[in-house]
Amino acid sequence: MTDRQFIGKPTNRVDALEKVMGTARYTADYYLPGMLISRCLRSKVPHARIISIDTSEARQIPGVHAVITCDDFIDHGRFGFPIVDMYMLAYQRVRYVGDPIAAVAAENEESLQAALKAIKVELEPLPGLFDPRQALSPDAPLVGEKPRDAEGYPHGNLLIDYIVRQNDPDAVWKECDLVLDKEYTTMHQEHAYIETEASLAVPWPKSSGVTVYACCQSPFLAKNNIIQTVGLGSEDVRVIQPYVGGAFGGKDDTMYQTIAQTAKLALISGRPVKMVFSREESMISSYKRDAMIMHYKIGAKKDGTLMACQFHGIVDSGAYAAITPFTAWRSTIHAMGPYRYQACSVDTDVVYTNNGFAGAFRGFGNTEVCFASELAVDEIAYRLNMDPIDLRLKNCLRPGDTTSHGQKLGDDVALAECLQQVRKLSDWDRKRKEFEQGDPARIHPGELRKGIGVAAVFHGMSLGAEGKDSAVGTLRINDDNTLTLTSGLTDYGSGSRTVFTLIAAETLGINPSRIHMLRPDTDTAIDSGPTVASRATVLGGNATQVTAMRLDAILLNAAADLFHCQIVDILRDGENYIGPNEEPASFDKVVDHARQMGLTLSTEGRWNAPENHWSFESGTGKPYFAYHFGAQVAEVLVDTGTGKVEVTGYWGVHNTGTVIFPQGILGQLYGGITQGLGYALMERVDFDKGFIQATNFDEYIIPTAMDVPEIVGAFVEKPFSDGPYGAKNIAEPSLVPAAPAIINAIFHATGRRIQNLPANLERVLIGKDLRKEGSNTACKLGLHQV
Amino acid sequence: MERFGYVRAATISEALTFLNQPGYKNRPLAGSTDLVLLLRRNPDLCDRVVDISLIPEMHTIEKTGNDVIIGASASFSEIISNPIIRETGPILVEACKTVGATQIRNMGTIGGNVANAAACADSLPALVCLDAMARVLTPSEEFNWTVSELVISPNKTRIPAGGLLVSLRYTIPPSGTRGVFLKLGRRNAMAISRLTVAALGRLDENGRIADARFVTGSAAPQICRFKDVETSLLGQVPTPALMLAAGKLATEEMIRLSGYRWSSEYKVPALAAMTSRALSRVFQVREPSGEVV
Ligand SMILES: Cc1cc2nc3c(=O)[nH]c(=O)nc-3n(C[C@H](O)[C@H](O)[C@H](O)COP(=O)(O)OP(=O)(O)OC[C@H]3O[C@@H](n4cnc5c(N)ncnc54)[C@H](O)[C@@H]3O)c2cc1C
Repeated sequence: MTDRQFIGKPTNRVDALEKVMGTARYTADYYLPGMLISRCLRSKVPHARIISIDTSEARQIPGVHAVITCDDFIDHGRFGFPIVDMYMLAYQRVRYVGDPIAAVAAENEESLQAALKAIKVELEPLPGLFDPRQALSPDAPLVGEKPRDAEGYPHGNLLIDYIVRQNDPDAVWKECDLVLDKEYTTMHQEHAYIETEASLAVPWPKSSGVTVYACCQSPFLAKNNIIQTVGLGSEDVRVIQPYVGGAFGGKDDTMYQTIAQTAKLALISGRPVKMVFSREESMISSYKRDAMIMHYKIGAKKDGTLMACQFHGIVDSGAYAAITPFTAWRSTIHAMGPYRYQACSVDTDVVYTNNGFAGAFRGFGNTEVCFASELAVDEIAYRLNMDPIDLRLKNCLRPGDTTSHGQKLGDDVALAECLQQVRKLSDWDRKRKEFEQGDPARIHPGELRKGIGVAAVFHGMSLGAEGKDSAVGTLRINDDNTLTLTSGLTDYGSGSRTVFTLIAAETLGINPSRIHMLRPDTDTAIDSGPTVASRATVLGGNATQVTAMRLDAILLNAAADLFHCQIVDILRDGENYIGPNEEPASFDKVVDHARQMGLTLSTEGRWNAPENHWSFESGTGKPYFAYHFGAQVAEVLVDTGTGKVEVTGYWGVHNTGTVIFPQGILGQLYGGITQGLGYALMERVDFDKGFIQATNFDEYIIPTAMDVPEIVGAFVEKPFSDGPYGAKNIAEPSLVPAAPAIINAIFHATGRRIQNLPANLERVLIGKDLRKEGSNTACKLGLHQV
Repeated sequence: MERFGYVRAATISEALTFLNQPGYKNRPLAGSTDLVLLLRRNPDLCDRVVDISLIPEMHTIEKTGNDVIIGASASFSEIISNPIIRETGPILVEACKTVGATQIRNMGTIGGNVANAAACADSLPALVCLDAMARVLTPSEEFNWTVSELVISPNKTRIPAGGLLVSLRYTIPPSGTRGVFLKLGRRNAMAISRLTVAALGRLDENGRIADARFVTGSAAPQICRFKDVETSLLGQVPTPALMLAAGKLATEEMIRLSGYRWSSEYKVPALAAMTSRALSRVFQVREPSGEVV
């Protein structure tokens, strides 16, 4: 279909060399003359009223330049989106272990530690709430801010609730031959980004403004938070995003706190102030993927037709809302999975507890419900003696179908193709026969058993009805005829700088090496919303294409003027422009001519996502403008003597539309599946009375290279009309179906369906989790470790 | 990170002098893969480290008569690639291969593993299975203990303050001896052992078990050979049923030694399976899974 020069062709990442050579600088790598270091005093109790904070002694310690509390911010530093319930430093209450209370900037470690010790905090302990199931009971301790009887609030711990409604499932159960009724749970997950939280704030002369270097999901949100809570004008704040060492959704709220704290400390002290978290501080104080309790009731006909789905979910948002309202909304929309039902009802309650706090994490609410619904659908297939892929093919959404929300789908839908391709790639049919299905009653302990499992996914693209959705890119031709490209979206390591560079190069017909893409800087890039929701390629890619097309039009005009011909008469051959007399003019020549004509060689392009709408009252609408679809198959070897699960093979086929950067898309697929494998088998954030148990990677284990099999990826490149060059996204949906595919494979091998994550040694061998009695020592120690 | 002093010893006697120099709270430093973590948790552990990692005589691995002597500062990688140990004590090689990952195996030493004496230390079961002896020096004395005597309980040994573990020594098992080491962790590298088993054995000319040594790690407070298991095997003709029974005995011995703990509900069936698997492989009988290995 294409004679494309760069898109879809193997290439190096634009930042490969810098990263491999170690010359890429991250926030923590910056050192400035006179720079102070800073740290927060954090709560060592899960819930307490703050009676008083006395920082006077700490301020007197030599080498200490600034000590701040919430009182140093406007409105106590209140912030948060979409629900405003957080503070830059704790106000009136601490609500989780790790909640920041005060921040200190000092010349050296000794002064810093002495000052942190010298801050006197008087706390009145409050009862903690640790069981999300109890959150809405009348006598539960109140963690939320609204009084229990506030208008419109059924309970002060109910953060928010969402619904989806389509017909009445209760009217359909009697038509079903099989009704499955099950509960599933998932645990909090740690993002485990390799770069911990880091911010460096540099005051301007006379503290008239501040420049902050920091890793975060959106430098623009960080800037707005500083404007509002520190009280500076828009022109007095600049936020620059250096290289970022991974985020996975984890660099939102915690980072905005850190950024505002360092900005304030820098303005008070008049010195650059850096704050870098230790791994322990990061694990204790940053938000996690929320834990969820999910109840599914699904009815089906004997022939495998799915009829009705009823879902009730409880989301543990922990101490603050953070982004969890959006996460839970995505859970709500995706709870039915990518299937057609005649009736469904979805109810999701988001509750406060004192279990840390939860927020955005790759997969964003879909990870949890996909795990549960793909287990449920799989169980229905087995109970009906149907092949699990056949059952999915029978019910999966297809082009032109209407979803349970009432949204009519376009022709970009390709789930059936994904399922069929992954079936072939994984040699599914042969293996299903060869690996005899496990029967717990007949397995000899110690047997090594193979199994194979599948999971399907759909994932709404970008923000959906969460909010306004647009992105802006800019291009400028520099004096030396290189080009500078900007986007308001960040490359955390996911490869978007390479994707945008390729799109600009393709559109302009120039070599990618001419283009230098800047990292986001609120002074040079234009706000494009946060880099979340797998939206970079589609939103940022489209914006890049728009700006590149504008620049291309300018250059074509110049070429036409040069050749004295019409634009339509111009051809391109590599970088050259060819006029009617067939004499080529180089790109440089055309650019020079454009300059002589006085043309402005810089452009800006905005792309607005198509409209969405969602009725929160009726639970219907068009939640996302389009969806990504995919299917993954896992093959496992289960040691029935020890419960050890080895993932021995993995296949993923995703409906990504046009592949722009082949190595990049595979990197996303491998990484997502690896993170999903960890979620499935080993990762667990345990809270014991609010105290996190694992504070470093000795105890919080994630997969190593030795745990990941060869992953085979393939892409259904059905062009997507709203995507740049027909591309869709991949970042989150690559992770989402991994856990259910693996758990379904374990069922095939052992006959044991594990409904609670992670499927660790104990659950696989004896069918239940065992836990050492918890303690608060790791947590308390972690808050002291540097 | 806390501050502490550092000296490097060139010889064993220099190390002993440093370690016993008054005015300091000294601590030997070998590969530092445990010590750095210990210091982070407890900054008062020492105020000076004595680097013993570059003492040439503590790296030698040699055969003297029927014995093999391993310098305590030999790294796991050195052991894994050493032809003498590969030939005479492959069970130790297998155990060392399961430690951490390449970087840890390059830095970490067998002496450090034994001296730190974590319940989950992976070289310990193999060393105890080989009936290894530990040689410990102080400026005035020399001690020779078996490794299981040396280790009193998790993270506690008989090495006196200022003492140095200089070498480990085992007698080469008779020919025909086969050893198996199995490690169970929550992932395949960089994993703290949940359970390990080390088994060593030999059949006589009549096909009866002439030697059986069996040790499990991460299962009991003091690492030791499981005598009940061994006795049940000696003189018997190996059969799958015998191996299964031995697995059950191992779990009984574990509970007797460590009591019933939060993890026992899991560890009992897992240890039974690992025991019978390891012994089946040593004596080459059909494994319960039906697979011949
Ligand atoms: C990421 C990671 C993974 C790991 N994985 C494993 C694993 O899979 N299996 C495993 O068993 N261990 C593992 N360990 C633990 C550690 O690597 C081993 O215990 C290693 O053998 C320690 O040796 P070392 O030379 O580094 O000891 P060091 O840290 O230098 O010393 C450890 C202790 O022993 C003392 N000491 C050292 N040498 C002597 C001596 N000759 N005489 C007297 N005292 C001495 C030191 O003073 C210190 O108290 C891991 C550690 C890390 C950090």
